[in-house]
Amino acid sequence: MNPLISLNNLGKIYGDKTALHDVNFSIYPGEFVALVGMSGGGKSTILRLIAQLEQPSSGKIAYAGSRLPVTRVMFQNDRLLPWMTALQNVSFHAHAAATQKQAQSALNSVGLSEFADSFPSQLSGGQKQRLALARALMANPELLLLDEPLGALDALTRRNMQQFIRQIVDEKHLTTMLITHDVDEAARMADRIIVVKSGTNVYEVAGAKDGSPEEVADVAQSVLAVILQPDESAVRA
Amino acid sequence: MENVTTLRETRNSGIHINWHRLLPWVIPVVLIILWQVAVTAGWLDSQLIPSPLSVLEDGVTLWQTGELEKNVSISLFRATVGFAIGGSLGFVLGLMNGLSKVARGLTDTTIQMFRNIPHLSLIPLVIILLGIGESAKISLVCVGVLFPIYINTYSGIRGIDPELMEMGRAYGLNRRQLFSKIVFPGALPTILVGVRYALGVMWTTLIVAETISSNSGIGYMASNAQEFMDMDTVLLCIVIYALLGKLSDIIAKTLESLCLEWQEKGGANQ
Repeated sequence: MNPLISLNNLGKIYGDKTALHDVNFSIYPGEFVALVGMSGGGKSTILRLIAQLEQPSSGKIAYAGSRLPVTRVMFQNDRLLPWMTALQNVSFHAHAAATQKQAQSALNSVGLSEFADSFPSQLSGGQKQRLALARALMANPELLLLDEPLGALDALTRRNMQQFIRQIVDEKHLTTMLITHDVDEAARMADRIIVVKSGTNVYEVAGAKDGSPEEVADVAQSVLAVILQPDESAVRA
Repeated sequence: MENVTTLRETRNSGIHINWHRLLPWVIPVVLIILWQVAVTAGWLDSQLIPSPLSVLEDGVTLWQTGELEKNVSISLFRATVGFAIGGSLGFVLGLMNGLSKVARGLTDTTIQMFRNIPHLSLIPLVIILLGIGESAKISLVCVGVLFPIYINTYSGIRGIDPELMEMGRAYGLNRRQLFSKIVFPGALPTILVGVRYALGVMWTTLIVAETISSNSGIGYMASNAQEFMDMDTVLLCIVIYALLGKLSDIIAKTLESLCLEWQEKGGANQ
């Protein structure tokens, strides 16, 4: 199978600071990949480069069919427009051809159909993130990028949202990349976990999606070990 | 539980008075009553401070002669035209400088220098250049309202959350869509603060300009009445200022509730 996107020797320099150097990995269609690593390790930079919010300083990102896939980002803070209702927030980026029906359908898919006329300030933290997910799903994206979207939620809501996102992603067969610093979250949700270390070395660990709590814990432990090991002794996958 | 239900029914069956709506008028009404009592009881010299009833009678007489209507109309005309021109200029300049780095670099320093000149200090210059005609008063109102609207439009646009702008770009909005869906609605609350402040400045400027250099308008009516020690009319003019100020406040609040429904609903929930 050809990858949907491939990062080839990707590098990013901010001023005199190298954020990424020669990063290489691929994401395949329908795959759920989690990117984990220490803070400042370059995870979010990779996401921003894939989303084309920034341009790489070196290397390139190759797309399947040489065409940029329809990509949508769900950010850590919901970034909803406070002056728009839930329905308007979902459809604000859609072109004229997109109907209100599609927006309502996206709201239904995240269980917010009865909140169509509510403003974001009238919603709870979990509802806001579900609304942000509906907005991302509205364009039928080929690639869904999740930038620590559950970081600000309480433990219970976070757990529910993990299951909910994974369920939606499976239903729609979305190719997804999740950025997270929570190794348990990565182990529970992802098919494959990519560990980014010091903005340059990339290691891979298989996820434990649908696994037992023990399997999830084992995978999380392995990921943590890779993160904490000095670079020289880490086993490159 | 039955008792509770009965009590509620009893309360709802009476005449419903919305005390909350009446509350803001309590102090003005009490002040007017006290004023009337003070004059009637002789605590105040009615030659210097006529009673509210006497002021009202004077207002009715001036209305019947057409003088009050004429002067209020001309003041309203000057205020509206001055506000429309000055407000539009302030808005366009604020928009330009908020959105364009080049425009900001070119004009902001100059605007900030002019902004710090008290606009009422321009009255002698305006009289010399434009006389005491309509253009003089309208120009002064223009200058008065321009800066509050400029500074608030500029600040509103510059204060837009960069994360929302980034989200808009990530979702493929072009520059025009970014403006109409993120920048303008995001800046609107601050712009409306400027509008509210500018409405106050508009009346202050007009009244001072009419008092100093005019042959019509409420300000002129007040200064003319002062010449003849016609205290009824002087106080009538002051009451009209207060009512016009309240009218401006109602206009500003209506605009806010129309444009900022999301803030009210959000606030009510918090």
